[in-house]
Amino acid sequence: MSAMTGEPSAAPPPANRALRQFFTAFNTNKTSWVGLVTFAVVALVAVLAPVIATHDPLEQNILDKLQGPSAEFILGTDGFGRDIWSRLVYGARLSLWIGGVSILIAMVVGSLIGMVAGYFGGRLDIAIMQVMDVLLSFPSLILGLMVVAMMGPSVGNLIFAIALTAIPPFARIARAPTVSVKERDYIEACRALGYSHPRIMAVHILPNIFPEILVMGSLWLATAIRVEASLSFIGLGVRPPTPTWGGMIREGFENILDTWWLSMAPSVAILVIVFALNMIGDGLRDFVDPKLKGERGG
Amino acid sequence: MADAPALSVQGLTTEFRIGGRWHAAIRAIDFDLEKNETLALVGESGCGKSITALSILGLIPKAAGRIAAGRILFEGNDLAALDEEHMREIRGDRIAMIFQEPMTSLNPVLTIGFQVAEALRYHRGMGQAEARAHALEILEQVKIPSARQRLDDYPHQFSGGMRQRVMIAMALACKPQILLADEPTTALDVTIQAQVLLLLAELKQLYGMSMIFISHNLGVVATIADRVAVMYAGEIVEIAAVNDLFDRPTHPYTEALLRSIPRVDRTSDTLMAIPGQVPSINRMPQGCRYAPRCGFRQKICEQPPELAPVAGSAPTHQARCWVRAGAAS
Amino acid sequence: MTERGPLLEVEGLRKFFSVKRGFPNPKTITVRALDGVSFAVREGEAFGLVGESGCGKSTAGRALMRLIEPDEGAVRFRGADVLALDRAALRTLRRKMQIVFQDPYASLNPKRLVGKALAEPMRVHGLAEGKALAERVRALLDEVGLPPEAAGRYPHEFSGGQRQRIGIARALSVEPELVVADEPVSALDVSIQAQVLLLLRGLQQKRGLSYLFVSHDLGVVRWFCQGVAVMYLGRIVERGPLPQMFDEPLHPYTQTLRAASPVPDPRARVTMARIEGEVPSASAPPPGCHFHPRCPHAMDRCRVEYPAWKELGQGRGVACHLFDR
Repeated sequence: MSAMTGEPSAAPPPANRALRQFFTAFNTNKTSWVGLVTFAVVALVAVLAPVIATHDPLEQNILDKLQGPSAEFILGTDGFGRDIWSRLVYGARLSLWIGGVSILIAMVVGSLIGMVAGYFGGRLDIAIMQVMDVLLSFPSLILGLMVVAMMGPSVGNLIFAIALTAIPPFARIARAPTVSVKERDYIEACRALGYSHPRIMAVHILPNIFPEILVMGSLWLATAIRVEASLSFIGLGVRPPTPTWGGMIREGFENILDTWWLSMAPSVAILVIVFALNMIGDGLRDFVDPKLKGERGG
Repeated sequence: MADAPALSVQGLTTEFRIGGRWHAAIRAIDFDLEKNETLALVGESGCGKSITALSILGLIPKAAGRIAAGRILFEGNDLAALDEEHMREIRGDRIAMIFQEPMTSLNPVLTIGFQVAEALRYHRGMGQAEARAHALEILEQVKIPSARQRLDDYPHQFSGGMRQRVMIAMALACKPQILLADEPTTALDVTIQAQVLLLLAELKQLYGMSMIFISHNLGVVATIADRVAVMYAGEIVEIAAVNDLFDRPTHPYTEALLRSIPRVDRTSDTLMAIPGQVPSINRMPQGCRYAPRCGFRQKICEQPPELAPVAGSAPTHQARCWVRAGAAS
Repeated sequence: MTERGPLLEVEGLRKFFSVKRGFPNPKTITVRALDGVSFAVREGEAFGLVGESGCGKSTAGRALMRLIEPDEGAVRFRGADVLALDRAALRTLRRKMQIVFQDPYASLNPKRLVGKALAEPMRVHGLAEGKALAERVRALLDEVGLPPEAAGRYPHEFSGGQRQRIGIARALSVEPELVVADEPVSALDVSIQAQVLLLLRGLQQKRGLSYLFVSHDLGVVRWFCQGVAVMYLGRIVERGPLPQMFDEPLHPYTQTLRAASPVPDPRARVTMARIEGEVPSASAPPPGCHFHPRCPHAMDRCRVEYPAWKELGQGRGVACHLFDR
């Protein structure tokens, strides 16, 4: 019987295939490698903060305050004599943690909302998306501001605030492909086979819309970090003396002309990581591009 | 006293670049298209029939493909060697092409009157009013009802069959010598297909055109063709007058194809499928390309056969098969 | 041959779609996709539903399975009322009626391994687990002529014909009794069509399957089916056994369809009659008999009154005033 059909084309195992596509996509956009490496470095630094920091970030050395970069204090000291490098490194931890967790929450919750809206359609869809539209109409910073102002500035509340602003875009980005995928024959086959709605959504629709969500995730992580920094900058972020990049910029603002390095270091850090994430996003976009893969259903 | 053929294709080979190497999609294609004749190119997907037509009109994308060998003789020129500027003059004017999908072959944001008249303005240098009048005439000839009122309608306001007629009108606006029709009725309902086939036959007579009709449907081919060339894996494997081909299908592929088609006019319990698959373009067998699937395969089939006359049939009936046709000596 | 009731009975099936069209004042147009369709499929039989685009044949296939919910009518499977089933009962019934799709490139989830796609229905319905499940997947693949390694591959690694086989295997995994085949070979190359048709017929004999075979290709339907109904604009215009229906079509539309179907015989081209007119839109069917604008035998009565269905004996029926004297 097999002779009648011929052999299916010999193909590498699925994991290798995904890896090869990843490499292809990232090699087309060489800057994506730069982004990935940079991000990895920053993440590593954040994780290894206790090891990499040279001083206790909260330790004040009033006698050494406002010093420029030196051998002892790699990036100098701030107005309280605290080592900027150490504060920067611990600040990275906080930024990545807040940004990462909030985006993860937003991704899960937002995608779920979008998928449900797109899958069931009708009035549920309209109702859900109208709520999303209301949330979307707030600039992320304002929304974050409102939440923190109402609930107080803690790490948890910050995460909640940022997640809230990121949920509507994820809902949108999950809804559109859901609507088109659910019309495909293979979804109709699932219904014909008697699968339940949750199963169809989780097992069949989600893997087909996940790529878009992933790309969005990488880009929004950059936004989340920026929003956190902005909120800290205006004083609504995590309370001092905990080091945050935004807070450090704010502290450096007072003597910006004399002690420019106080604000410069955290600003550059934010710039670097946002840039890195955007470059990763470019590579990821090619990685998930169905035209390159040639296997997207339909 | 034979007239010179309208088109003479000699040894045409078109290659595509796959994985960095050039592979022949069609190889050594030879045929003549006589005046006022309908030649059908029939075969399954991947056999190269569309590529043949695109090669004739120089429409193979330069980045990925090239005409590697052969001549395409038309009105004293070798189209394969002609530069782009001269080819543009020929396309739409002396040789025209119609395609399978009328929805995507018509520009959705331009009226049909505009699109039909465009060829006339471009090739014949007609002014707007004159071109429009001519366009109306042709649209009436392709039997668009209320053509005058519909000149300013858009493609989406027409049904599939009507759009196909508009495309035919566009192609015939400049009264070309040759019409290349690439599966023009495949996407149409069967009753509409019958109308369009009849229309093509009538217009061909009226304009004294020759037509190359590409199809995968042997029934359609039997309906419209004067001569038939059966293609497989980039080669012509059999070529004959239409009656000869269906009376004595000689190449095993032709025979197998006919036996695998269920017919509406006959009850037959036997349907014989062809085992295996068409070889992919970069893994062609060295000898006869059909041999791996052929029930008559012999040792000699490891050599690539040439087109040879079929014994006992008209001299114009040729097949590419050691076993069934020609000098196995 | 024990004379049992038919496996599937469809009566007066109707499905309407409302479409808002027009700018700046949108009007709601009702498209009568199915307008009173009745037929029956006997056990072990392949029954064809033919017609051109817009006739409603695909809608009929889906409506009887409740993939689209019909607006009116009755569907009985082994006597049980399909339309009245609640969700749980419908889920159980889903095993008995399966569907094979036209487009092999859209009918399989591209992100799902073939083996998982075949195992899932059996797992969901509790038909097998663990090693027995893997064994069944292997057996299914073998039944449709694919090697066991296919289970570890993704759909895009297969050709159109192979994907169609996988789709068939998936439908078979729940052991259905009726398979709705919606143009299962139309998107395939000619030589692959024959392979898949032979496979479907082999399965019919081996598993005692019944088919509702939806197609526009009369040749394929003639070979595959024992009976056929011809649809036009949401209604059945003629029904009867094969090959009689195509040898002696009664309804003028069936005759037109038959005459227009190309035959691989150059000498048959003489009979290609001149066929007039377009397939009208399902949103604005002509009054009276839907076919009258294109009918060579149209009478005054045809323009005004839709012909009643007439049973003519020997399993044939037709809706045409020519038979309604």
